Amino acid sequence: MRLFLIPFLLLTLGCAASNDDGPGTPPAPVEEVKYDTTGVLFKSYKGLVMAGYQGWFTAEGDGAGRGWHHYQKNGRFEPGFASIDFWPDVTDYSKTYNTAFKYANGEAAKVYSPYDEESVDLHFKWMKEHDIDGVYMQRFVSEVKGESGKKHFNKVLANALKASKKYGRAISIMYDLSGSVSADMDFIVKDWEELQKLFNLFDNKQNPTYLRHNDRPLVAIWGVGFNDGRKYTIADIQKLVEKIKGPTRKASILLGVPYFWRTLGNDTENSQLLHTVIKSADVIMPWAVGRYNAASYTQVAGTQLPADITWCKTNNIDYAPLVFPGFSWGNLKNDKSLYNQIPRAKGAFLWQQIAGAKMSGAEALYVAMFDEVDEGTAIFKTKKEGETPLNADGKFVGIEADLATDYYLWLTGQGAKWFHGAGGYNASKPERKP
Amino acid sequence: MKNLAFYFISLLLLASCSIDNYPAPDAQLFGTILDIDTNEPVEQDIIRGSAIEYIEHGYASQTKQLMIFKNDGSYRNNLIFSNTYTIAPVRGNFVPLTPQEVTVNGETKLDFKVQPYIRVKDAKIEKVGSKVIASFKLQQTVINNVRKIGLYAHPEPSVGEPMRTALVEQEINGAVDANKVYTLELDVAANSNVLKTGNQYFFRIGAIIDAPESKFNYAKAVRLGL
Repeated sequence: MRLFLIPFLLLTLGCAASNDDGPGTPPAPVEEVKYDTTGVLFKSYKGLVMAGYQGWFTAEGDGAGRGWHHYQKNGRFEPGFASIDFWPDVTDYSKTYNTAFKYANGEAAKVYSPYDEESVDLHFKWMKEHDIDGVYMQRFVSEVKGESGKKHFNKVLANALKASKKYGRAISIMYDLSGSVSADMDFIVKDWEELQKLFNLFDNKQNPTYLRHNDRPLVAIWGVGFNDGRKYTIADIQKLVEKIKGPTRKASILLGVPYFWRTLGNDTENSQLLHTVIKSADVIMPWAVGRYNAASYTQVAGTQLPADITWCKTNNIDYAPLVFPGFSWGNLKNDKSLYNQIPRAKGAFLWQQIAGAKMSGAEALYVAMFDEVDEGTAIFKTKKEGETPLNADGKFVGIEADLATDYYLWLTGQGAKWFHGAGGYNASKPERKP
Repeated sequence: MKNLAFYFISLLLLASCSIDNYPAPDAQLFGTILDIDTNEPVEQDIIRGSAIEYIEHGYASQTKQLMIFKNDGSYRNNLIFSNTYTIAPVRGNFVPLTPQEVTVNGETKLDFKVQPYIRVKDAKIEKVGSKVIASFKLQQTVINNVRKIGLYAHPEPSVGEPMRTALVEQEINGAVDANKVYTLELDVAANSNVLKTGNQYFFRIGAIIDAPESKFNYAKAVRLGL
């Protein structure tokens, strides 16, 4: 009786085997990569408050060979020619560079360069002092495609990896696709592979501070689904995500998406494919800079945040809202009416967003940005109003004169403490004790 | 001549009847809008209330059709065609939902799970002397301000802000404390032209959030004899 069954079994097996060869049948599952996470400090983005780190500035004489990159305008960095609105406060830096700008008392105004290890070290020291969890190192595809850009951003990354380990701050890489074209997707895949080898990025001993999420190293891709006429498509990003994850699911992915990604309106391309791509990622971070100010925040974000969070929970995606202290790009845009376009209001605007995100159920934050002085969203130490260098018939915007120069670092850190679970925080901005 | 006219009219009517030989709607769609946390129905208004927008697939026009909720949060459409629809409750008293694709075939039940903007808790409505007194707590689920609260009265159970003969309201325009007990008093004597002694009326507590296109959230209506 049992023997009688054997031919049937063989037949069944034969069928199964021939099915496997058939067209359209998925290939046998590949074993997913497993990482040794012993000693890894940040196993999830959840609970963390991290900022974006531009690191794109250079100074003449810093060795990067890029002149006054991102400080200058039209090749000049002198009164009347600057693309920054806030002036970094370099009092604590051990290495600084004289510029053609002067203070009212005639003293030369100085800047720093993140090409210098000691300057990046100082930034991570500030993060630790204020309990800010870490940063996403911006990697501008349009810059690192060239030799000089690659040399610069690799040096800044090397500085940052070293400092993040020294101060126990989380670090991750964010590809910024602004200005990219479809053909750049292959470059990104190649560059990402190169970085992993060059820095031994996922080695738990060498880089214990590299951020993990869903048991894998997290890499961010910023700029998918914006309807601002980009020269690459959502389908390009879909392929990029597939390639970066690979069949062995090597990495987790954070996608930087437009603010109205869920309803596919306003700043977002009206394409359902965006939702498909989002569902293939692990975390999303909608770009909120310029989407509201203090007066409109509650009306815009009040329902947007919980609706976004519910969508993400339903689809098993994590969500990190963006918060920013204010916005100013008068010098960058040559338009004085754009100084302090979105006022900081002594931190009230930043805290409104931190509290709004927390009270709406967010579990992590993205702070735009640590060191962005061109668009005036920097939280690091910058000069105060009345103490900025002179700038021909223009000016530099300072932080409010009665605040300490590290106030926005402190306030961001207060938000981080709240997200870490500390009590005593609510919608009222915390008071800084003298 | 009269007969001839009658003949032509009849012919036209018959002709128009015979052209419209499409099948009748063959399916029913029904359900309830539920609180995602408590699983309780989310109270609605029958006029100027939250709506259900649905688009039938297979037509290029993508025309939006509308259904309304009953006060108890239920809805029913007994004349709908079997097909696939994109459907979502909209312009409501809850955090916006993403439209979903639903296949309607025969008796189809579709509940919506939503996060109501405000939960009216521990609601009590009593007649004390010549007054009807409502006491309740409010729990807001979003950071937007609570705009106002109100106590509404009407002879029908579908009482609400848009459907009331007597009311008392209070502006809030701020965040509410979940532990605070709010009280609203409706003076029956002062409303004697619309609230007659000896009659029964329905009373309902409402609160509205300050969000785009938001609608009132309510506690269940209570019937009281005056």
